Amino acid sequence: MSRVKFCTACLLALMAIFAGREAFADRLDLIQKRGILIAGVKSDYPPFGMLDGNARLIGFEPDLAAEIARRLGVRLQLVAVSSTNRLQKLDEGAIDLVVATLADTPQRRQIATLVEPSYYASGATVVTSPHSRLSSWADLRGKKVCATQGAYFNRAMAQRFLLDLQVFNGTRDTGLALRDGRCVAWLYDDTGIVGVLGDPEWARFETPLPSMMVSPWAIALASTEQGSRFEHAVSEAIADWHRSGWLIESEQRWGIKPNHFLTDMRELWTRLQPDGSPLCARQSNDKWPVECRNKFLLSSADVDGMQRFGLLLKEQAGLDLAIIHDAYDRQLFLHGLWVTLQLMVACIAGSLAVGCLGALVAESGIPLLSGLVRISAALGRMTPPLLLIYLVFFGIGRIIVSRFGWTFDGAAIAIFCLSTYTGCAIVSALLDAVAVLKEQEAGFSLRRRNLSQALRLAYAPVVASLVNVVKATAMASVIGVPELVSAATAIVAEQGNPAVMMNVLMITYFLLVMAIVQIFNFLERRMLQSGNR
Amino acid sequence: MATAEIVAMLLTWTPFLALGFAWNILISLVAMAIGTVLGAVLARLRLSSRKPLAHASLVVTELTRNIPTFVFLFYLAFLIPAELEVAGNLYAVPAWLKASLALSVAVIGFVSDNLLVALRHQQSRNHAAALLFIPSWTSYLVTIVMASSTASVIGVGEIVSRCNIVIAAVGGDETMLWVYTYAISYFLLFCFPLNWAMGYARRRLLARIGTATP
Repeated sequence: MSRVKFCTACLLALMAIFAGREAFADRLDLIQKRGILIAGVKSDYPPFGMLDGNARLIGFEPDLAAEIARRLGVRLQLVAVSSTNRLQKLDEGAIDLVVATLADTPQRRQIATLVEPSYYASGATVVTSPHSRLSSWADLRGKKVCATQGAYFNRAMAQRFLLDLQVFNGTRDTGLALRDGRCVAWLYDDTGIVGVLGDPEWARFETPLPSMMVSPWAIALASTEQGSRFEHAVSEAIADWHRSGWLIESEQRWGIKPNHFLTDMRELWTRLQPDGSPLCARQSNDKWPVECRNKFLLSSADVDGMQRFGLLLKEQAGLDLAIIHDAYDRQLFLHGLWVTLQLMVACIAGSLAVGCLGALVAESGIPLLSGLVRISAALGRMTPPLLLIYLVFFGIGRIIVSRFGWTFDGAAIAIFCLSTYTGCAIVSALLDAVAVLKEQEAGFSLRRRNLSQALRLAYAPVVASLVNVVKATAMASVIGVPELVSAATAIVAEQGNPAVMMNVLMITYFLLVMAIVQIFNFLERRMLQSGNR
Repeated sequence: MATAEIVAMLLTWTPFLALGFAWNILISLVAMAIGTVLGAVLARLRLSSRKPLAHASLVVTELTRNIPTFVFLFYLAFLIPAELEVAGNLYAVPAWLKASLALSVAVIGFVSDNLLVALRHQQSRNHAAALLFIPSWTSYLVTIVMASSTASVIGVGEIVSRCNIVIAAVGGDETMLWVYTYAISYFLLFCFPLNWAMGYARRRLLARIGTATP
């Protein structure tokens, strides 16, 4: 097994190279050198961040970013970010700051610099169809609830109300999932829901439950910007906005329903002390007074023994192995591993079934049908599997739901699409083998009894296709199947530990693929032995 | 949606989607270039007379074969910083380049294996058999072009990402079906002639090999 060991060593060396990072001491220097402030905003969250008719990013939050750029005396470049990737992009340095409906939480403070004061606030609520008859959050216990990946309350709400969360990428996919009946409710932000429900397609839907976990929104900078001049400048800007009432004007300008948070903040930031000086002024340590900060975040987070051990590991060794010390993440990851294993086995079986059946029909000599299968197999090989998954899941799935009311499981659709794609490759490998066999013995024709003969001859290309489909199972993550990649990205979105999680993901996949290759090699040896006997 | 409406909608967005497909081809060509150079080095080393070198090269080839490109795509997206500073200059590492790098891993393994066979044929002066590498390489380019659609998951503005933008902008239940089908037709139109031509080239070469060594 020395080769296996060497393989692993090479992989680890590769990872060590990519783990290294570089950064400027203060982001403000980089921004001024560049002359451009790069801000991440939402593109699917009207009216906070959206695209106009010319595909330009506009909204409440782009206006805030523009104001900061104006104050810094640089130009502004807006980049669309999602709930999933905003902190990742910030962490990797692709953007300077995030103004993208980001709620301030203790966990996020560990992985990014969240600037105080906050500029807005929101809570969690659910959208349901009018027939849901929900009266309290407890009615949702154990029910399938669709959620958008990366929302800060997903985990807490799932734990608190035992929701069976179905996590999707982006607002569009989650909304579609609810409308397709994949879940009974859509867990979302009460501010985001306003933009969605404004669409006539959503007219019948409602929000029957009170908002939970109301949380202030913060502009986020990279974790290294804690206490930097950049943080100071952004913080000053927001404080001025509260004092001048500019945020309230901005809210009106975008037609947003007035939020109590802004009126409360306006009052707080303009309040004077008995001696006539403003209450919210910087103290000698450059911090805002306690009264002007986010109160619930000031108390230290409750940490139990296991979590303390995990944090110790993180502080001492720099390893944030959330999947070991955090029960929720561990369960998420193990479930992902289990789903991935099921997908792999199902795709191998499905591909073989499609391939063998296709080859038998193509060789059956039935007029029209044989030719049709040959053409389909050729076309199937030239259709990108990812597009096929989108086409079946969203395109065809949508029409079937609206016509017949049937919904299909995402995993089943992923298995179907990947098996079809790989099956087409296997058909052509088998047909090549049949051509060779026909040259060897005249009058050979592929039937069920001599299928194994063709499979044996086409063993190498068939196995190559099967190994490819095993690797491709990760594509199921794009339609919300909770497999390994989904689990890993969800954990990264919550914990902000991409280096550790991505390495764990790579090693896990690498070992899975290696194990499957070894199994096929073993089968090949067995086959050769039985062939010799 | 009436047929005329669908056709008009697809025509309106054709330049936008076609440019996306150009990105798919660019990502694939860059991946092929990187993968071919590195794969060629590995193939050459595997023929080396120095045993450890040949062995190490084989192991690296096997390593690249075990790495799933889709997962590697996420890996690079998360772990390569977006801007690298080298000697005081800032170099951006765009997402499409990360996609090319992820795809190139598969190309390395392919080139290492297939070029090795070609080099052996070359050494035994079997030039026609060695030339079989060219149609194989081109067929692999087609595979990579199809795989390049996965770049959409890390936010590269290629054709699949653009499909999603079009769908969001146009709205409506049936739009998705037509936009995705239209995108698939781009891949078919690109891949079919190339696959056909390479099949023809392969048959011609095999015929030449057949007549050269009766």
